[in-house]
Order: sequence, then C-alpha cells, then structure tokens
Amino acid sequence: MAINKNSNAYIIIYTVVMVVIVGALLAFLATSLKDKQAQNVLNEQQNSILKAFGEPDADFNEVVTIGSITNGQFVAVEDGAATFELISDRKKLADAKDNLPIFKMEKDGVVKYVLPIVGKGLWGDIWGFVALQQTENNAVITGIVMDHAGETPGLGAEIATEKWQQKFNGKTLYDEAGVFAVRMQKGGAQNEYQVDAITGGTKTCDGVNAMLETSIGKYESFLLGVAVEAESDVECEKCASCPERETCEKQCDECTECEKQCDKQCCSSCEDKNVESIKGEEE
Amino acid sequence: MKLSKNFTNPLAANNPVIVQILGICSALAVTVKLEPAFVMGLSVTFVTAFSNLLMSLLRNGVPSRIRIIVQLVVIATLVIVVDQFLRAYMYDVSKQLSVYVGLIITNCIVMGRVEAFALGNKPWASFVDGVANGLGYTIILVIVAFFRELLGSGTLFGMTIIPEDWYIANGGFYSNTGLMLFPPMALIIVGCIIWIHRTINKDLQEK
Repeated sequence: MAINKNSNAYIIIYTVVMVVIVGALLAFLATSLKDKQAQNVLNEQQNSILKAFGEPDADFNEVVTIGSITNGQFVAVEDGAATFELISDRKKLADAKDNLPIFKMEKDGVVKYVLPIVGKGLWGDIWGFVALQQTENNAVITGIVMDHAGETPGLGAEIATEKWQQKFNGKTLYDEAGVFAVRMQKGGAQNEYQVDAITGGTKTCDGVNAMLETSIGKYESFLLGVAVEAESDVECEKCASCPERETCEKQCDECTECEKQCDKQCCSSCEDKNVESIKGEEE
Repeated sequence: MKLSKNFTNPLAANNPVIVQILGICSALAVTVKLEPAFVMGLSVTFVTAFSNLLMSLLRNGVPSRIRIIVQLVVIATLVIVVDQFLRAYMYDVSKQLSVYVGLIITNCIVMGRVEAFALGNKPWASFVDGVANGLGYTIILVIVAFFRELLGSGTLFGMTIIPEDWYIANGGFYSNTGLMLFPPMALIIVGCIIWIHRTINKDLQEK
C-alpha cells in the first residue's frame, strides 16, 4: 500500500521524527564541542589582554597576574577560571559592583593594569580591554583592544581595527577638573583627551564613550587611590638592603622591621604571602 | 538541462541577484568592504550547495504541505552545525562569520533554489545548481564591494590603494565618498550592474 504523503498522520510523524533527529543532533554537537569552544574563547581573551598590555607574544600565565578589586584594593586571584567566566558573561560583568576583575603586569619596573570594558554599540554588545598606567591622581591609556558583535562593517565596526584603537594610546583619563574626559569626539578631537570619532559611526562611538566611562568609572577609587601611594613607591634603604628579599619564605624579621619604618611591604614574596592571608580572613 | 549549462547559467544569464532579484538584502549589508563580501559569498555558496543536496535527497519523502518548514529546518540546522564546528576548530573564521550566520539562514537564494530546483531534481544536479547560484551571488557581491570599498574607504581588502598624499588632509585634491559607505549606494550599484547586464543580454529586457 502506498503511503499517502499528504495525510495528517504522515505529516505529524514526519515532523516529530524530523524535530527529534535535528534536536538530538544539535544537542549532541553543542555538548561535545563545548570544551573546545570555551578553550578558544579563553585563548582569545588572554591574547586580547596581552595585546592591550602591548606584549602580544608573551606567555599569559607567566607575565600576567589575575586579580580583583575588592574594597578599592588589588587582590591577587589564584584561580583565573572564575574571572574569565565573569568576563565572558557580559551582562554579569556590566552589573558587577565589587570584586571587579583586573589584570596586572609588571615589566621593567612599570606596572600596568588591564580592565575589561563592556557596553552597547548601535546593533549589539561592544567589549574589550583597556590597559592603564597610573600617574599622579590620574591614569594614562597605554593600549586598548575592542571588539563588537554586529556593528556596521566600514563604519562602527572600525572600532575593532588597530588604526582606531591606536588613537587612544597616551590619552589621560581625567581632565584638570577631575572629570572623565576621554571620548570619541564627533567632528574630530578638540583637546588632548579626545579621540577622533568615526564618520558614519557616531552611535557606535557614543557607545564606546559610555562603555569607557562606566566600565573604567567602577575602578576609579582604585585607580586614583593607588596613584597617591605611587609617590611613596621609592624603596626605603633598609628594604633594598634586605638580604633575603628575593628568597625568603616567610615574613622575616628584617622585613617586619623595615616595614615599620617605611610603612609598606618591601619583600615581594612576603607580600604575596600576606595577600593570601588577607584573602583567607575574608573567606 | 545539461549539467554544464546548469553551472554557467546562474553565473551570468540567470544570475540570482541581478536577474532573479534574490538576496538583495544581504548584498546591501555586507558590501562595504571586500573581505566580508567575499566571506559571505563563499558561506552562502557552501550553504546553497549542501541545502540543495540534502533537500534533493529528501525530496521524495517531504510532505508538500509542510515543505517550506522542512526546508527552513534543514537550512537552519546546516548553518548551525557548520557554525558550531567553525567555533570549535576554526575560531578566526567563525568570528568573521558570526554576524552573517543569521543573514545566511534568511538569505532568499538558499530557500529560493531549494524550492525552485532541488525539490524537482536529482542530488548531483541540485548540488551543482547550489554551487553555481552561490558563485553568481558572490560575483555580484564582490563587484559591488569593490566599488564601495575603493571609492568609500580608498582601500581594497583593507590595503590602501589611493595614495595618502592625494587626500585633502595631506594637501591633495581627493577625498573619499562617504555616501559609498551607506546601504543605498549598494542598491544604486546593483542597479547599474543590472542596467549594463540587460544592455548586453537584450532578451532579458522587458517589452
């Protein structure tokens, strides 16, 4: 007996079978490829951070310290997985108010921080990383990496190109009145804080401005707070002469004594130990 | 119809964009630069080819009353499967494509060819038809993007073509045509291509 292909029974069975097969296929694919995809995303984030630092070829795990800003203080984080998970979830990152993710890199005595930034462009999310170097009561952008979900190619999408990103380098965040001043200015930069906006991409540039202001604004107390301390960043003589400062395992007496004098941590490995103990107390 | 004709026809005489007027929407969206136009063209070629092949294999079992739904499911599944694989194994390519995945699924050429050709023809012929239509689409996209990128941004595939010192900003006489960056110019360029094409192929002209 030939099957009547237009009977309701045939259509219903056909649909059900089709949906089950397709659903199973997609579910299987999504689960089996998930780890690999997550690894790709992680690699890309790490590369973007290194690019923002200006060290695209460095080994992320060696040169970058993952941390978070808790109560305005930098705290090193042992396990970076949670940090990257937060950065991947852009909505959660935008809502985050405390324990803000941050990356620290020290090279030739210069400390730079990279902050994740997230915002809305014209058609969808825009995000990226901005590298900052603290100055007195201020901070300077040393690198920025931005990406987008669906900005117009040739217009708003230009924010993802190096040509536009380089324009941010060397810009100071706050003007003399202490107001956040870095922005993409329509019609061309009019002062030293501004960057040329993209012709035809005004809405995306507005999104970039809002993104920079809100995302960096959350770190303001940290950025400006440490900037004041930066003045006393010169090592006291005792610290410099401490014989065990490179190797000591615990808070040695020399360290304790000299810290009393200069009111700061002098021994780098002690510092790490202390940070851990502070973290332990909070937990 | 012969297989060779099957292949050459959609490239010019029966081009999907300028004769069948399919896929115009994405031709406006992705032709600001050559690179995305090229990537989009190749992706659509891939999807038309394989959705044609799959639907042609399934054509005898598909109930005609729900054939459009079945087509949509097949096309969407195909696109998502490919996207998932790219994300796992060719991450850079997938980033390039991410914007267009939605555009590929809804591209009229894909469904147009499945409906018009694959449902009534053998698998191999359908596959060839899919490839040819995809390439016909790519050709038009690349032509439009060539003019838009050259005149709008002064570059081709991101490389600077117009010498820097020609620009007014550097004391020259030239400036990029900002209008080229906007979608209406794509429509006007497509219109010009149709004009030239019909002048050559007189049998296409409507009396």
